[in-house]
Amino acid sequence: MTQAEIKLCSLLLQEHFGEIVEKIGTYLIRTGPQPLRMIVNETGLVLDQVKKALCVLIQHNLVTYQLQKRGFVEYEAQCKRVLRILRYPRYIYTAKTLYSDTGELIVEELLLNGKMTMSAVVRKVADRLTETMEDGKTMDYADVSNTFVRLADTHFVQRCPLVPETPQSPDAPPPPAPTLVINEKDMYVVPRLNLVGKGKRRRSCDEEEEGEPKAKKQKQEGESSEPPPDDGIYWQVNIDRFHQHFRDQGIVSAVANRMDQTSSEIVRTMLRMSEVTTSSGASYTQPLSSNEIFRSLPAGYNIVKQVLDQYLTLLADDPLEFVGKSGDSGGGMYTVNLHKALASLATATLESIVEERFGSRCARIFRLLLRKKHLEQKQVEDFAMIPAKEAKEMLYKMLSENFVSLQDRRQR
Amino acid sequence: MHCAHLSQGQLDLLRSNAGLLYRIKESQNASKMKGSDNQEKLVYQIIEDAGNKGIWSRDIRYKSNLPLTEINKILKNLESKKLIKAVKSVAASKKKVYMLYNLQPDRSVTGGAWYSDQDFESEFVEVLNQQCFKFLQSKAEAARESKQNPMIQRNSSFASSHEVWKYICELGISKVELSMEDIETILNTLIYDGKVEMTIIAAKEGTVGSVDGQMKLYRAVSPLIQPTGLVRTPCGLCPVFDDCHEGGEISPSNCIYMTEWLEF
Repeated sequence: MTQAEIKLCSLLLQEHFGEIVEKIGTYLIRTGPQPLRMIVNETGLVLDQVKKALCVLIQHNLVTYQLQKRGFVEYEAQCKRVLRILRYPRYIYTAKTLYSDTGELIVEELLLNGKMTMSAVVRKVADRLTETMEDGKTMDYADVSNTFVRLADTHFVQRCPLVPETPQSPDAPPPPAPTLVINEKDMYVVPRLNLVGKGKRRRSCDEEEEGEPKAKKQKQEGESSEPPPDDGIYWQVNIDRFHQHFRDQGIVSAVANRMDQTSSEIVRTMLRMSEVTTSSGASYTQPLSSNEIFRSLPAGYNIVKQVLDQYLTLLADDPLEFVGKSGDSGGGMYTVNLHKALASLATATLESIVEERFGSRCARIFRLLLRKKHLEQKQVEDFAMIPAKEAKEMLYKMLSENFVSLQDRRQR
Repeated sequence: MHCAHLSQGQLDLLRSNAGLLYRIKESQNASKMKGSDNQEKLVYQIIEDAGNKGIWSRDIRYKSNLPLTEINKILKNLESKKLIKAVKSVAASKKKVYMLYNLQPDRSVTGGAWYSDQDFESEFVEVLNQQCFKFLQSKAEAARESKQNPMIQRNSSFASSHEVWKYICELGISKVELSMEDIETILNTLIYDGKVEMTIIAAKEGTVGSVDGQMKLYRAVSPLIQPTGLVRTPCGLCPVFDDCHEGGEISPSNCIYMTEWLEF
């Protein structure tokens, strides 16, 4: 971790959680995994404060804990995860574009609270949406639930690991810290809840609300004192899924820029079909047949099968190599080359930085060096067709800022 | 007897495995070489053998085994007699190669179409670069607007190096005659500019523009991404980025560019 990163983490923790949490978080980031004792001693805070702060940090997945072999628990800060706080607005905005205001608020509530039960989320979001609606209108719990289910189905929210149901050995004392687990197949399963109700505005009790008989109101208030039907089943935002979405967006927009709108929509469709079937680190999506792709194209898209096949062939033949053909069954099997696409996007980003920072001449030399790997001064001048003096200046400028390096290869 | 003819400049002195050989010289130069000594003749011979690529004075020394001072004297002499000339080599601007006076220097010495008197014609290259790109751009646009099926659209957006060469020749913007390879080196710079992509296809022997059964096709392309986020902020372009830190003389809180940028 660089000093700048540590400083940034401190600032983020302070802004979102206050001084005490910041102090403990920063201490853990600087010194690595520590037991509770050490944290109390080194930070000079009271045990109670430290415990509360750790709870907050764990709740937000910013600190994890692990039972060590010798029987004590160590707490470890997840620095990278702290930095992800910077992206919260982007995650929330993405949820809005995909699932409109309801989706936006669900993700926002989960990010603000770290972990929540579905019933709590639904109630809170219904109330917030009702606040913004016209007089007399309220948001139904069912609508919010539906959006929540969609977010779970597309893996944008996931269930949190739980205490295992059957203890290892019923006679042994419980461990100092539970090891939470979750089954892969349970991660996105929404509990069968019958959440009935509507959002409430924050108003004084004597104001009348249309169609809300007093008896029902009382019943709703009474419900809040009982444990929720999904007690113990907590949900959190799956930030990796948002990252995967950003990756897909980047690929689709690159195809739109280089080729055309239709090609990019086809790639978008292929990526959407692969959303939950391809792991996030995979090099290629699962092969998709042209027939399947045709069936999955968005409703408004009116292209005939023949034309789709032409576009797929063009995509597979293009020097971009974002799409590959892996077989001939089903009208042709195609995959998206995720690693190749990401490498190309990364290269384009580097080239863009050189272009804006040093100018188009330097960018030409930079791209040339990327292709040819090693070149002598003279070769750079010849290939790039830049006069010797200018080429020297540009190479030196990039050398001094570490964009290129010199390698001494003595000629024998 | 040989010496008399040699000293009169009527014979060429050559070396072979068997020893020294003598050959009657052409009378024109023979008269000029009259009065030259053997060493001069040797040097002249070495230069003549180098043809239109010329030879550096250091290499003349290796071949003749004569001391440098002698060679320089001889070279000066030969130059003043207009038997040889010095040509600046484009390979290294300080080095000169020597060749016979009447010879046209080879391309590798002069730099070919891109050099005029050893000066790299960067403006000319720039103009060609722009013209080639414009040609490819309009071809790609025409293909897009034709609204044909995607296959035809793609194929008609490409141009072979031969096509581009023909277009440039017809434009008549070059005083020098340009070859197809010359145009290909220009097209390559467009590839390094990220503006053009190239594909190689197999071509039947004899197809116009094909070389060794292959043809190079070029197409104008748009960049993959918009300028990236980092360089759209003041920090991405800042020359004192490395010196900037909170509490320092240069810091984000007292940066005027940052303030300006945040007031959008």
